[in-house]
Amino acid sequence: MSIRKRAADFLLQRGFAVVFAIIFIFFSVATAHFFQADNILNIFSAMDPLAITASGLALVVMTGRLDISVGSTAFLSCSIGALLIRDHGLNPVLGMLLVVGCGALLGAINGFIVVVLRVNSLIATLSTMIAYRGMALALTDALLVELPAPIRFLGNAKLGPVPINIPIMLIVLILVHLLQTKTSFGRQIMAIGNDVTVARKIGLPVDRTGFLSFVLSGALAAAGGVLTTIENGAVSPFLGDGLEFTALAVVVVGGVSLLGGRGSIFFGIIPGAFIFEMIRNGLTNLGADPYSYRLVGGAVIFAAMYADALKSGRYALRPQS
Amino acid sequence: MRTAQTLLRMDGVCKAYAGVLALNHATLEARGGEAVAVMGANGAGKSTLMNILGGVVAADSGRITLDGEEIAIRSPRQAAQQGIAFVHQELTMLPTLTVAENIFIDDLPRRGPFIRSVEMAHGAERLLARLGCAISAKTPVEQLGVGDRQLIEIARALRRNARVIIFDEPTSSLTKPERQKLFNVISGLKAEGAVVIYITHFLDEIFTVCERVTVMRNGETVWSSLISDVGPTRVVQLMLGVSENEGRIRTPIEAIGEQPVLSVRRLCREGVLNEIDFEIRRGEIVGLWGLLGSGRTELLHALVGLGPIDGGTIEWNGGDGPKEITPERLRARVGLVTEDRRGEGVLLPLSVSDNVALPNLMSLLNAWRLVDRVRQNALADAMIERLRIKAADREQVVSTLSGGNQQKVVFARWLATSPRLFLLDEPTRGLDVNAKTEILKLVVELAGQGCSVLLVSSELEDLMRVCDRYLIISRGRLVGALPGSADVDALMRSIATIKNEYEAAP
Repeated sequence: MSIRKRAADFLLQRGFAVVFAIIFIFFSVATAHFFQADNILNIFSAMDPLAITASGLALVVMTGRLDISVGSTAFLSCSIGALLIRDHGLNPVLGMLLVVGCGALLGAINGFIVVVLRVNSLIATLSTMIAYRGMALALTDALLVELPAPIRFLGNAKLGPVPINIPIMLIVLILVHLLQTKTSFGRQIMAIGNDVTVARKIGLPVDRTGFLSFVLSGALAAAGGVLTTIENGAVSPFLGDGLEFTALAVVVVGGVSLLGGRGSIFFGIIPGAFIFEMIRNGLTNLGADPYSYRLVGGAVIFAAMYADALKSGRYALRPQS
Repeated sequence: MRTAQTLLRMDGVCKAYAGVLALNHATLEARGGEAVAVMGANGAGKSTLMNILGGVVAADSGRITLDGEEIAIRSPRQAAQQGIAFVHQELTMLPTLTVAENIFIDDLPRRGPFIRSVEMAHGAERLLARLGCAISAKTPVEQLGVGDRQLIEIARALRRNARVIIFDEPTSSLTKPERQKLFNVISGLKAEGAVVIYITHFLDEIFTVCERVTVMRNGETVWSSLISDVGPTRVVQLMLGVSENEGRIRTPIEAIGEQPVLSVRRLCREGVLNEIDFEIRRGEIVGLWGLLGSGRTELLHALVGLGPIDGGTIEWNGGDGPKEITPERLRARVGLVTEDRRGEGVLLPLSVSDNVALPNLMSLLNAWRLVDRVRQNALADAMIERLRIKAADREQVVSTLSGGNQQKVVFARWLATSPRLFLLDEPTRGLDVNAKTEILKLVVELAGQGCSVLLVSSELEDLMRVCDRYLIISRGRLVGALPGSADVDALMRSIATIKNEYEAAP
């Protein structure tokens, strides 16, 4: 194998780590504040809602489908919960459970449209993305829904130096990771992502699994929304705006193939979410134009997609013997 | 070895698709510890019969008994529960999952919610060991070759203590050593008392692997016996039936003096085509005669670059002397009519006129470099008249035409480019007798006008009505040639010769 080919292979296999390291070192050197324990914790804390949402979305992507309604699902679920807590005195703990349940229900609607009505998942969730957001805006009159003070206090809770939401995020991601790697359901998701027709031929419950992946995606999107809401102490009309694309980018950058059947939750989503939050944080520390974040983020997504395309091409071209 | 007892019996199985009878009181009997070959030409009904046994489709009537007990099979899952395993020709592997996961995917061993990975890996390795295969159970399947994947597929079948194992063309994509390995596995299964049902197009294999043979034709079981009671020629005769001679459309011509239009030298593709040497002269209809899977379609595809080639040369004589040509450029010079006319031949939602015009648009442009509607219509009308296409008018949508007329549209598309050579792959597939005759007449007409034709057909009767000579293909190798005057027996014998390259099962 020539050195050039070996280098190309290395970049494809380890490209993510290389890019990650370069960006990390660049920010550490270029800014005084970036490489400090509490800033790193900040990044971890800020990426939590994104990571949780992306982990749910990843389950759908692994089946070879898409769910771009996650941002609107989070917004609508949280709006309903927040309104009930503020206006009807609902117990906040019950309220959180209700929000997650609501997300699951909205996910179930997506699942129904995709699995039962056989609508392409991109189109189905595009329509619910618009519809859910519209419903939430109507419910809240597009105004901020503020939550009572005790909940706002919760947003600043810490375990020692560590904000409480970091361990919550880690626990959720470990659970989703175990679900994906160690249960029949998780393996069935991967089987569908490999080839739906084959999975059906083998006799796997293709439709049930596909449906449940949307339910989980909705529930986890709502859970991510809960973390954002607690942090802000309010549901803003911009909650989850654009989240679907950032989450999808995290999923892809984290190495989950859009073709389905390939990828890891814990070892993909956490670095994926971290790199996005790190870029935002680093650019802020640099004092860069806030809009430059989008440009850099776009470049990272493109690089990840391109690597994914190259990699899948390579797998397909590999001779079969 | 256990005493051979009847294990499986299928009686009076009927199945119709949209009114067309695919199986007409078909029967099959198989004994434990033996392999039975199920043979038949295309459309003979063997796939349908196996799909019924495997639970993929439901029979309209008939009974299936296993070990003396009548069983009902309504789904692949039920078939599996009855101990019937189907190893499909198209493997059902999930490439990114591991070997163990692929074997156990439809029933993963669990403790609580979690998969018992260790136990599953041990189970997988035990099953694979039975098949004489030592792949690590944790390897992702995408890193394995086709042979190994097939063993994994068999292991999945064995997991449920299969009593009946159906192999549907298991060797079509295997290398020679892989094939030998598979045969050893099959004899192992027989030794364990399982019923093996073996479907293949390769005659030599059944004499190596099987004890019994059942031949099907037109949905009926026409022969069942010990394999030692028949020879290869007999099997071919049974498969193809005695052809009713419809009479030749033209007597064979000998185009000796004519220049070759196409000369192919030492064309090969690893494992598929082997040292193919032939030429076709002007005005000649050459039949490429071989069983399905003999490499006949692959040869046509290789000639026009639809399949890769590893070596060899193709010479083309476009009227100005023979010149070497690449398959990709040859494609632009020949008319290719494939068996899959709906998929590859015509654009169903478009009109006859549009279909005919499509490969010829460059010659239909007007001064503005736009397609000249008047000239397009003239071309379409000319073709409809020349080929006697039965359409209401040139604007009729092709999907509403009959099969024979759709096929004529395919010819029309190519005719307008006036090719000197036609490659025809099963051009009469699925057509009724009259439409068949029409198409064959058309072929002869083209040859009369100086076109050369290389014709592939599973139906010997069709070939025998038009061909001037035959090339015999078997296992990707041209194994002989026969003159146009050859009779049915000679043609059947020619493809029934067997080179025994396998060891008999131990």
